[in-house]
Amino acid sequence: MEFHTPHHIRELGLEALPVRPDARAKLGCNPGFLSDRIQPGQLRGAILGSPHPHARILRIDTSAAQALPGVHAVVTHADIPGIKHYGLRKVDRPVLCIDKVRHVGDPVAAVAAVDMETAQQALALIRVDYEPLPPVCDPVAALDGTAASEQPVHQDGNLLHAASHRQGDMSAARASTVHRVQDSYVTPRQMHAFLETEGGVAEPDGAGGLRLFFGGHNPAREKQVIADMLGLPHDRVHAVATPVGGSYGGKDELTIQPIAALLAWRAQRPVRLHLTRPQSVDLGVKRHPMQIEMQTGCDAQGRLTYHQVQIVADTGAYATHGPEVLDAALEHAPGPYRYLALDLGARLAYTNNGIAGAFRGFGAVQVQFALEQQMDRLAALVGMTADAFRALNLAAPEAPGPLGQHVVPFDGAQRALDVARQQPLWRGPHRWASADGRHLHGVGLTLIHRSDGFGKGGPSDCRMELALAADGAIELRCGFTELGQNLVGTIQSLGAQHLGCSADAIRPVLGDTRLTPDSGPVAASRATTLVWRALQEAAQPWQQALLLAAARLLPDIPLRCGAWGLESAAGLCLSYADLAKASGEQAPCISIDLRAEDPEGNAHDTHFVFGACAAIAQVCVDTWSGMVRVQRLVMCTALGPVASAQGYLGQMEGGALMGLAMGTQEELACLDGHYQARNLDGYLIPTLADAPEMQVLAIENIPEGDPIGPRGAGEISVNLALPAVANALAAALQRPITQLPMTPERVIALLETGAESSTP
Amino acid sequence: MTTTHIPEHGGKPPAASAKEASAFVLQLNLNGQPVSASCSPDTRLLTLLREHWHLTGAKPGCEVGRCGACMVWLNAEPVNACLLMAYQIQGQTVRTIESVAQDSASEPVRDALARCGGVQCGYCTSGMVMSMSWLHQQQPRPTAAEAEAQMCGNLCRCTGYGGIRRAVQELFAAGQRA
Repeated sequence: MEFHTPHHIRELGLEALPVRPDARAKLGCNPGFLSDRIQPGQLRGAILGSPHPHARILRIDTSAAQALPGVHAVVTHADIPGIKHYGLRKVDRPVLCIDKVRHVGDPVAAVAAVDMETAQQALALIRVDYEPLPPVCDPVAALDGTAASEQPVHQDGNLLHAASHRQGDMSAARASTVHRVQDSYVTPRQMHAFLETEGGVAEPDGAGGLRLFFGGHNPAREKQVIADMLGLPHDRVHAVATPVGGSYGGKDELTIQPIAALLAWRAQRPVRLHLTRPQSVDLGVKRHPMQIEMQTGCDAQGRLTYHQVQIVADTGAYATHGPEVLDAALEHAPGPYRYLALDLGARLAYTNNGIAGAFRGFGAVQVQFALEQQMDRLAALVGMTADAFRALNLAAPEAPGPLGQHVVPFDGAQRALDVARQQPLWRGPHRWASADGRHLHGVGLTLIHRSDGFGKGGPSDCRMELALAADGAIELRCGFTELGQNLVGTIQSLGAQHLGCSADAIRPVLGDTRLTPDSGPVAASRATTLVWRALQEAAQPWQQALLLAAARLLPDIPLRCGAWGLESAAGLCLSYADLAKASGEQAPCISIDLRAEDPEGNAHDTHFVFGACAAIAQVCVDTWSGMVRVQRLVMCTALGPVASAQGYLGQMEGGALMGLAMGTQEELACLDGHYQARNLDGYLIPTLADAPEMQVLAIENIPEGDPIGPRGAGEISVNLALPAVANALAAALQRPITQLPMTPERVIALLETGAESSTP
Repeated sequence: MTTTHIPEHGGKPPAASAKEASAFVLQLNLNGQPVSASCSPDTRLLTLLREHWHLTGAKPGCEVGRCGACMVWLNAEPVNACLLMAYQIQGQTVRTIESVAQDSASEPVRDALARCGGVQCGYCTSGMVMSMSWLHQQQPRPTAAEAEAQMCGNLCRCTGYGGIRRAVQELFAAGQRA
């Protein structure tokens, strides 16, 4: 591979990192988490969830609960004055169940009482008569109509969404095929396990409206859904959704906000509702389990010929982000490679297995695991190394996207692979055993790309505001929320780059519908890119506005925007604070409207921007116990310029551990519609001892004239880690990996089967 | 000193808990101050801290002693506040993050976590500081490997432990064993 410009690589773990602006508050124990808003006079909210995965509701009797002293509100669907359902692409989720329950924990009623003890007693007094229905548990059977239950999960049937894509001449492609690999891959239901469970406060504002304080991704939508539910004008609802104690997609769709709002509205008192971990496990969304059939061929020289993929994903009881997740799975199924022909299909089934929804890595990580196994297996059949096989088959930087759509030209995949191939870890041995033969080591490589933003037809529009506040702070006001990703630091550092001021002169104002415009959701790895675009668009008008305002005060001096104010050749002339004071109501304020950039001709649900990464993992398998340890992970990340070193590094390391744990330990089993773990003692997330040594090599190059700037760094580390670990495991065990996670039991079972001897 | 009745979260019949509550007054030294609360003897310390004293630095993450987000020091030893009931800590000394974060003795730990990228969403951070500061203040100070092993009771879902490990390496580097 040849490059016109050398790679610009930063090894972020070795740099001194700027301290994030909210670090001191977080280390000082009170950064203002919304679930910490404990005040006298609040009622405690509690939710009555379904004990059944699937049942008809025959009758709900709340009279005894209503009569209990200390109870201020008992609500069911009948108490909702406005719209009773919500959803994204499909509106199918009742705030409180009406005629049916569709998963264990599905909310049926809720109470607000003077204390938790009374609230729990009131819940116990609510009588719900159910007629249990056979649960729909197998997504394939659910779609084939062979499910045990005659009753579909929703009236219109169990197929929520289907997508497909065909391209090229399949019969010609098959005719030129010499090697083929066909297998069926299964991925687990993973839990977000944010440490702050869903919680917060809903309170009447004393003026006919309602204030909401719950961590989330999109307070503007929360406000709209809740106003519509209560039949209120939208401006009567005020939602604050930041900061958030972890989300990873799990708090993207609304969680308990509508229920808390309904309780507070009925009681006309502040209600605090904070789920326990088991309640959060029952109610929260999970990562979609997928069954992926893949058949891929190449010719005698190793050039890919065809790729056939069939995906069935389990979305559980309600749609939430399921259709978008499935579309992402389809779009990422070919990866960054070129083929003569593609035949891709994907179906999404409703079941009674909890709810699956948005999760960092979003639909793509499941198929990337399968695809990257296929690539290694084909390379071995051809007799090529994994890196040479990928280099041969990589689509050109100007080539159309995976579904034939127009994409922004980007050579990130080429650069990431090139950097990865040069790493000592990859140049060393790929498999070795300890002297006693007990421990097997494997090294695996992966190359992935992933989309940024919502893609064609998605809710991509985004508004922000840049304003000089009364105290002279330069405020970037935006509805996005701080989830831990260091959006606050990113805004400051990008602001300093674009506006000519000091980073500390900038005050990010986030996630509050009274203070920030509707920016859409902070999701799809898009926030950094949008902040970059907003500041790029606003930089010139902003500086003009400041200079114009200053010229009224200092008409004869040529000025420019400096760190803390307007400067002349002689130095600071007018601080931003003095300018703000003098300007009063006339202080500069610029509204920024960003629109989707997807080209006209692109198909619905395709993406225009992709970032790319390569990664190398080293694993160690204990053949006695079956325990897998991921020892090293080298990430070569081609995502354009680093907007915030600490944010970028943290996203890479954090996402990588989450992704690799999906390969080694995390699976929330669901038996007959019941989750088999309801807390962190039964569902084990990684500890410090499970974290490998990680290296992040950020490749900052972007093509000349690139319109995008930084690509999203929020999710791609999940996407790279899982296939890298799976490929390393396959190398160590000399067998393909088809089912995740590779728990000790599965490792031992695999070791007891014959070796495929096809892994390099 | 303030005394209030705290109803515990849980499914006890009201008569029983009211009777127990009237019979039990918890007295503690909390962050250097004597405090008391009239409560059921099985009220958890985490509930008392957050609901009664409005000290919200200790966080509920799992409430089964797994995540470490509610860590406090009981008689100068780190423990999870979700696992301690009022009757178990009668007359004892509790220090929370509200006090430890104000103490210059924890400054090296807070500073290292800030500089190394050990803080993201911040929800585990109180517990991390309690755990790491306690280890850092031990004599002799543990090695980095010992400290890493002992930090496994504090879960973080954001950082992948990259920044936390860098902070441990820096704070517990070889040669610092006192």
